[in-house]
Amino acid sequence: MTGRYFQFWGVRGSYPAPFESHLKTGGNTSCVEIRSGNDLVICDAGTGIVPLGNILAKHEDIREATVLLTHYHWDHISGLPFFLPAFAPGWKLHFFGPGGNARDIEDNLAEQMRAPYFPVETETWLANIDYLDPTQRARFDVGDINIEHFNVHHPGSTFGYRISVNGKVVVYASDNELSFLAHFIEKRKMEFDEAERRLLEDMQNEQNQKALDFMRGVDYLIHDAQYTKEDYAEKRGWGHSYYLDAVRAADEAGVKHLFLFHIDPNYDDNAVDVLRNTAKAFLADRGSKTQCHVAVEGNRIDLG
Amino acid sequence: MTKPLTKIIVIDDSKTSISLYKLSIEPLDVELVTFESPRAALQYLGDGDASLIFLDILMQDMDGLTMLKQLRELDHHSETQVIMATSKDYAQDRNKAKELGAIDFLVKPIRSQEIREVIRKYTDAPDKQAGPGG
Repeated sequence: MTGRYFQFWGVRGSYPAPFESHLKTGGNTSCVEIRSGNDLVICDAGTGIVPLGNILAKHEDIREATVLLTHYHWDHISGLPFFLPAFAPGWKLHFFGPGGNARDIEDNLAEQMRAPYFPVETETWLANIDYLDPTQRARFDVGDINIEHFNVHHPGSTFGYRISVNGKVVVYASDNELSFLAHFIEKRKMEFDEAERRLLEDMQNEQNQKALDFMRGVDYLIHDAQYTKEDYAEKRGWGHSYYLDAVRAADEAGVKHLFLFHIDPNYDDNAVDVLRNTAKAFLADRGSKTQCHVAVEGNRIDLG
Repeated sequence: MTKPLTKIIVIDDSKTSISLYKLSIEPLDVELVTFESPRAALQYLGDGDASLIFLDILMQDMDGLTMLKQLRELDHHSETQVIMATSKDYAQDRNKAKELGAIDFLVKPIRSQEIREVIRKYTDAPDKQAGPGG
């Protein structure tokens, strides 16, 4: 576990999918490890953080990690009560995520480890824990890993992260509903008068551009691709993207590599193959330079 | 002594949304102050007052719910009227806004008429007097 890389430990959204038919893609919920030597950043603490923690606990050279939480929905924090380094003396853990102050992060994490939901509380953690106030840190470093956060379209306050390592930029936007406003503008357009409609067109263009800002030209984009077109039609407003909206956005933003992430747990490996092949064909039709991949549990991507 | 104008504050990092507010508010005799940055708005509101605030949620400087929480910590804004105006039409956002004392929740795209209606509903802002021959 040396060098610079990122590795997928959990790629599912919503809930784990520990089914034989799903395991080529992976069954754990959101967790991505980013490493530069012994500097360690972990994006989200879904169930994927459990096997990562088991390995880290045996690693002699690393005793410090920064956990970046996008938000506090279960699929992003439910591995934390089983994350061995938190229970080990000698470890130092920094938690960062949305909130009005550091205390909000602490409270949100403590909430899932209380009776009657869990037998032990965060007070039993033996690691040295600190919570980083997000209002005081627009940008910060973990060794030579640089971290910035931005707000995304998902219920409640939710962050995405832009992480720079060795001149490479990785953007992690696990939960982000693209095209939400565009849909409602299209649906309600006829209710507006002409002057308003002109403004709405400008608004739609402006929003489309804003949605691309955080991913423009990045080397690696790990993005919400939870639904097929049919499922998105039923689940619009749940805070997740139709996967081809993510592919289109990545192409328009000039992303080099897109990883389809936060895969719906109802999609088995065959269904995921269809998503991958359709996305690749979609990009080929557009003559795109963006390469599309499915985030697969266990895959490690070298960052030089 | 003339009565001070109703002061409407808009906080939204979308330039076109700000333009829509300006267009909507034009017929009303109010003072409009706009901010694209929630942090700049918080700084202004640290000393300043407001009759009614329109607040977007998804902004990059700081999200609107976090800003509202910080606004409520200012004594003179603990009860200031705040209306959320956002594309984030999620139950969780609505509930959080309500918990923080927002009095209404408008979902984008918003019509000019809707903006004027809520201003009239929550303030006593008059229409502008018609000019000569108007």
